[in-house]
Order: sequence, then structure tokens, then C-alpha cells
Amino acid sequence: MKDALVIIPALNEERSVANVIDSILSAASDVDIVVISDGSTDRTATVARKAGAFVIELPVNLGIGGAMQTGYRFARDNGYAFAVQIDADGQHDPADLPKLLAHARNGEADMILGSRYIEKTAYRSSRSRRVGMLLLAVLVRLAVGYPIKDTTSGYRVVNRRVIELFSTSYPYDYPEVEVLVLLHRHKLRVLEVPVEMKERQAGSSSITMFKSAYYMLKVSLAILLEVLRGRRVEKGARL
Amino acid sequence: MSIYILGILFSIAFLVAVMDLMRRRLLLEQYSLFWLGMAIVILLLSIFHDSLNRMAAAVGIIYAPSLLFLVGFLFMLGTMLHLTVVLSRLTTRTVRLTQEVAILRAELEQREVVAHRDPYEKLGEEVAR
Repeated sequence: MKDALVIIPALNEERSVANVIDSILSAASDVDIVVISDGSTDRTATVARKAGAFVIELPVNLGIGGAMQTGYRFARDNGYAFAVQIDADGQHDPADLPKLLAHARNGEADMILGSRYIEKTAYRSSRSRRVGMLLLAVLVRLAVGYPIKDTTSGYRVVNRRVIELFSTSYPYDYPEVEVLVLLHRHKLRVLEVPVEMKERQAGSSSITMFKSAYYMLKVSLAILLEVLRGRRVEKGARL
Repeated sequence: MSIYILGILFSIAFLVAVMDLMRRRLLLEQYSLFWLGMAIVILLLSIFHDSLNRMAAAVGIIYAPSLLFLVGFLFMLGTMLHLTVVLSRLTTRTVRLTQEVAILRAELEQREVVAHRDPYEKLGEEVAR
């Protein structure tokens, strides 16, 4: 068994999931891959198995948070030292994975964040999107006390301590930003490392105008709540 | 039939409905006690309907039914808040169970594949890696 597990949450991604698995396996041979099929109705699970991943099929759709956490629980139960989170739509380049893993294995931080903004990369986005990202970055900065530029990046490598934390507490939806404050609250460190970000291979972004407003509201509230919870042990209705 | 009698009949019907749900075990005990209390309060209020007038007068409310509306509204608000807390807890538990079942089933299926490896079994390819 390898020491790192790549977790790929997938909902009806039969067209792109095999490509992602192939490119991960060719870029980093020292990882296992688990695909969490979040109640997919297409052939995602079969395709992923054929491509060489271990597949966990959720009997009902749990949403991104519940699916990701399934992967973290699997990683915890099977003793993995590191877990990698990567999108199944092909936006993240697995060629960066060895670099991110190396930072994690060196113990430079508890979470290594693949960031689009630290250096000049080919990534471009719309103005309203950039304004939103900036706002989130400011909020997170206020909450954790140090700058994190690319707060919404879903390309992440975490160590054992974070795997154990996520197994018991992980946000239901839009987890990326909230998690950063959650980690800070548990005195875990985040390190940003520049990565190349590609245009998505299939489908378009699911975020519309109304959804963006809801997203900003939800995430801001989540950050506020995380700050209010303070740095103490919690018990309550989280995942 | 006066509204007075109608109120009492309605309260009794409500009480009977609650007890029937309890009898058929469709209400958990912790909630059935709550609804039983509610039904009894409603019944008492409709029998001694003058008590409402006196309570309203005591707190300076001129139109007595508004006291009923106020108390009822606050009560419903509290109940609904409590129910969403319960619902959230149930959601958390359902999610946790779903995750556990999915992981267990995936591991079980893999074990079965290893135990009797069958060349015609598609899953075999996955284990052979």
C-alpha cells in the first residue's frame, strides 16, 4: 500500500474521470486513487474501476462535502499518511502533484494548497469572479490572520492530522473556504504552492449569478460561524 | 351548537388523535408527552374559557384572544426551531451512515473478488493492479 491517497469525488463524470485517473497515475505512481461516486446514474463507477481506481459508490447523493468526507474516512481507516483532493473535471494538472506531495512529506505545513495566483500562471477569470475571490481572500485573512490568496482552490494535499479532523468535521457544501478557517481554529498550518490551472475539459462552471450571491453569503456566514466557535473542542451537528 | 361546545369537541378529538398515535407507536415517547400536554392545555382552555379572559386582563391585554395568538405563535416558533435542530441531527446521522455503508460495501466487494478470483468477473481487473 502507498502512503498517499488521491480522493476524486465524481457525480456523473463518465467522460472525464478515466482521463483524470490516467494522468494522475502517469504523473505520480506512488499514490492510490479512490473515486467517490456521489450517487452517479451513469457509468462513472465502472469507468473509474477499469481505469484502476478503488471505487466507493454512495447509495444516495450526499453533495460535495459528504462525498469528500467519505474519502477522508476511507483514508483514515486505511492508515494513509497523506490525502490529495483533486477535481474530476480536468482543471487541475496532475503534473503538479509530485511537487505538492513533496512539500507535504517535508512537513512544511498540514495542508498544501495548489494556488493559481501566487505566481504568474496562464489562468484567467472574469472580473466579477475576481472581485468575489478578492473579497473571500480578505475575509479569510481577517479570520486566520495571515494571507491565503487562492481560497477557493480545490487542489489540496493534507497530512494525517487533517485527515483525522476531516473524518469528523467537514462542511456540507462549498467546503473549500470554510475549511481554511476550520484548520486555523485547530491550529493547523496551510501553505500555498503555485500550480498551473487549465480550462475545464468538459461542462461549464455550475455557478450562475444567483448562485454566486448565495455562494458569497453562505461562505461569509460559514467563516463568521467558524470564528465565533473559537479555538475549542466542539460537539454538534456537523458531518 | 355554540362555538363553546365546538371548541371542547375539537379539543377532545385532538386529544384522542394524539393518544391514538401513541397507541400505534407512531410518536416517540419524548414527543408524545409534549403533544399530550398540548392537547390537555387546549382542552382545559376550551372548558374554562373564562380563564383566558382573566389571564389577559391580568397582563393588561384588552382583546383576550390576542393573548392566545401571542402565546400560540411563540410556542410554534419554538417548536419549529426545535424540530429543525432535530432534523439537522438526523441529517448528520444519515450522512454518516451512508458513508459507512458505502465504504463497507466497497471493501466487502473487493474482498469477495479476491476470495474467488474469476476471469469473467469484471471487478477482477481492479484488484489485479
